Amino acid sequence: MITLLKNGKLYDPAHNKDGVVEDIYIRNGHIIAKPISAEKINQTFDLTGKVVMAGAIDMHSHIGGGKVNIARMMLPEFQETRGYSEPEAHICTPNCSHNATPNTTDTGFRYIEMGYTAAFEPAIMPINARQAHLEMADTPMIDKGGYAMLGNDDYFLRLLSSGADQKAINDYVAWTLHATQAIGIKVVNPGGISAFKFNQRRLNLDENNVHYQVTPRDILKSLSRAVNELGIAKPLHVHCNNLGAAGNFQTTLDTMGASDGLPMHLTHVQFHSYGTEGDKKFSSAAAQIAEALNKNKHITADVGQILFGQTVTTSGDSMMQHLNARHANPKKSVIMDIECDAGCGVVPFKYRDQNYVNALQWAIGLELFLSVEDPWRIFLTTDHPNGAPFTSYPHLIRLLMDKSFRNEAFAKLNLDAQAMSNLTSLNREYSLYEIAIMTRAGAAKLIGLNNCGHLGAGAQADITVYTDNPDREAMFAKPDYVFKNGELVVKDGKVVKVVWGATHVVKPAFDIAVEVDLKKYFDKYHTIQLDNYKINNNEIHDNGRGKIVTHSKGE
Amino acid sequence: MKNISLKSNQCIATCPACGLLCDDILLENNQNVIKVMANGCAKSIPFFEQKLNDATPRIAGEPATLAQALARAAQILKQAQQPLFTGLSTDVAGFRAIYNLAQKTSGIHQQNMQHMNAASTARNIRVLQSTGWQTTTLTEVKNRADVIVCIGSDIVSHNPRFFERFVDVDGMFISAKNRQLIVLGESKNNGVIKSDALEAAWILPCRADDLPSVTIALRALVAGKPLKATEVAGIKVSDLQSVADKLKAAKYAVLAWVSKDFDYPHAELTIQNITETVAILNQTTRAAGLALGGSDGDTSANNANTWLSGFALNNDTIEHDCVVWVNSFNAEKLPPNTDKPLIVLGNTNCQFETTPDVFIPTAKPGLDCSGTLFRVDSSVILPLKKLRENNLPTLSEVVSGIEALL
Repeated sequence: MITLLKNGKLYDPAHNKDGVVEDIYIRNGHIIAKPISAEKINQTFDLTGKVVMAGAIDMHSHIGGGKVNIARMMLPEFQETRGYSEPEAHICTPNCSHNATPNTTDTGFRYIEMGYTAAFEPAIMPINARQAHLEMADTPMIDKGGYAMLGNDDYFLRLLSSGADQKAINDYVAWTLHATQAIGIKVVNPGGISAFKFNQRRLNLDENNVHYQVTPRDILKSLSRAVNELGIAKPLHVHCNNLGAAGNFQTTLDTMGASDGLPMHLTHVQFHSYGTEGDKKFSSAAAQIAEALNKNKHITADVGQILFGQTVTTSGDSMMQHLNARHANPKKSVIMDIECDAGCGVVPFKYRDQNYVNALQWAIGLELFLSVEDPWRIFLTTDHPNGAPFTSYPHLIRLLMDKSFRNEAFAKLNLDAQAMSNLTSLNREYSLYEIAIMTRAGAAKLIGLNNCGHLGAGAQADITVYTDNPDREAMFAKPDYVFKNGELVVKDGKVVKVVWGATHVVKPAFDIAVEVDLKKYFDKYHTIQLDNYKINNNEIHDNGRGKIVTHSKGE
Repeated sequence: MKNISLKSNQCIATCPACGLLCDDILLENNQNVIKVMANGCAKSIPFFEQKLNDATPRIAGEPATLAQALARAAQILKQAQQPLFTGLSTDVAGFRAIYNLAQKTSGIHQQNMQHMNAASTARNIRVLQSTGWQTTTLTEVKNRADVIVCIGSDIVSHNPRFFERFVDVDGMFISAKNRQLIVLGESKNNGVIKSDALEAAWILPCRADDLPSVTIALRALVAGKPLKATEVAGIKVSDLQSVADKLKAAKYAVLAWVSKDFDYPHAELTIQNITETVAILNQTTRAAGLALGGSDGDTSANNANTWLSGFALNNDTIEHDCVVWVNSFNAEKLPPNTDKPLIVLGNTNCQFETTPDVFIPTAKPGLDCSGTLFRVDSSVILPLKKLRENNLPTLSEVVSGIEALL
């Protein structure tokens, strides 16, 4: 069974194809080279004039796990009721939502309808990993995976503060990747979530965690080295200290130097690019951050753009979310300390264009996008749902691709904020090729998904087809076709077939002797058995609906 | 759990009988009869040692084949306009299955599911949805809590091993002997539970319906607001002031409650007094709330319903013309009294006041089949084991059997 996608204009940065007209052949869920002429073509789609890209990959989106579910539970007012038609009605309930706290069915449907075929949960708390995977198992249509959070857990901090050798750290990091079925490692406010439990309220890069007497820099050095030495593709995913605080750009700049040149990814960097200039002591430091990103080739970043409207911020950063809770809108929040593992903070936010800080946050995100030169090292995210729901990506893409649209939006902002931003002097407009890098080829390369994000032979046939439309928001909101593993699943922006994606993981080798000390620790301090902490493959396979895809570097 | 060598007929299992989900229960299986050998309690022993009992489905009390029972259940559901799915005592997989069935048989926009613990769960959910809260989890309690205040009761009637596992043990940052335990409310321990902490506890007795005034007084005192009264519900204000001082001086205070203990109108306001007391404490020191209790898979059902639908389970009055009662764990929990057609899916030992129209015995997760369950603090999710041979269908299998006939 061969499907032919004929005459499409391919934007495939992994193969340097920038609008090349070519045919794509699909067999058994994969893209294949042009078959010999004797082979029968079973199905042909004429894509003359259409824009063809690989399925998009969201490398940072809070789609499942404890804090996402707390947000849903706390905010029933976010839900919207609407009736569905087939085939969505099969699994979509009458209560499906379309906002910041979508249920799992909704998450899968809204992603695939925009041509996204994979999303990665960036903050899986190891002790809570089973919940994250249960929720992702109930998320249809897309592939998924996640990054396990380390660096605030007492086990790691005890290792680090007792001067354990790097091998012990590496084994623990690798063991965690296996136990949690994750594809990367994240650190949130390094040392800070733990410090908050000891009543520290802020933690700077070179400040000690009061109990462990280690600094965030020590943690970053140790974890980035572990990730690098284990040979996994995804660099350490770093949510810097001082999230959201005026003047935090200096922490962010300093953090870039904390790994001694080893790769690190700084996430939702918009929330970490704030200066203290001006009457309101809150200003854009996007220029400094972008300049440093341009210079430091070992650093990648995603933006975490904010867009105006109601959303909710869900973060592992209990320390900073406790501070931010005074800005909650509506006025409620959840702050948790969790299992000597980490914590979380869930705070609803309403970003308003007439609010000075919010307007400037919007401008800072766009300044970053437009000032970072290499699209392979900057990624398109809203840190869903923290900056905005992922459903606003088409709007964000238009802001990046359409200068006059962007400047018109800017002109409506709070006037004081306008005076503090150089956005209108940035003339850059992203090309389709650059968008394809940020949302496909670059994201796949970053995470190490060698079979996704491109249109070459051997790739998983996750393909999105758009009608070229000068209104980029309309174009990216509603693809003509989306193919998932070679099957047509979306037509004219609507799901036509329900499918279930795979879970992407890494399983680097490690010394199983790490469990000797872990078991002692669990028996003494934890409240569950070590064996119950580990998620086995069968739990993900879920009676055949799920599938694990294990990646290794350079496969 | 220390390294012990297990005999071939022994295993370590996870107990679903209360929200603590103790996963250190030593069991022995002799000819398919389970006996708790170590770490049992008043809830786990009856759960694990319950008899397998007759697996025969029944239609109006008469033995039937599974196929006949499925057909009859499907027939009742097809005739119903608004079935109510209640009880919902099951694990995550079972809940997912029953959720799908409920969606397929519901009218448009009809919430038609309700857990048997809906009333007590709703008290917590109302606080979550009104102000939110600042809470902690059991491993944090074990390792950090230096002052623990149990409000409403001494917990043990809901979670028998709470003190043994989390309080009477040394933690990473606190030793057991340095913890202070205070109970504001009724002491329900009848001497069965041996706990150093409970024995040394400072107990300030008060009745459940005095808790609104006691908790608001404590909240005011922690906020630094002086009270004119010298006594609140029989408790000296000077004693409450002393509790407030201990909380403010604590490094990591934990205020624990079980919403089931607050069985009076607007009990959510009592819980909110507790959680807002925590919020005030967290302005200067560290403190956290801890909602305990949990049973019959309520935390699992609520979490799964929330990610599947976007909403927490509700406690509304639901109009219905047929009842599906799902009860896996505790056979003594009775279905609602109803004159509507009644379908029961669950524990072989289920008890009834009126004979159900259909009764299909199903496997109990954690005993007759494997499963997955949420602990009461929602952060920890544990696998459950199949422990004995049986030919009972799982709830998911029964539900798909019914769905195939709809």
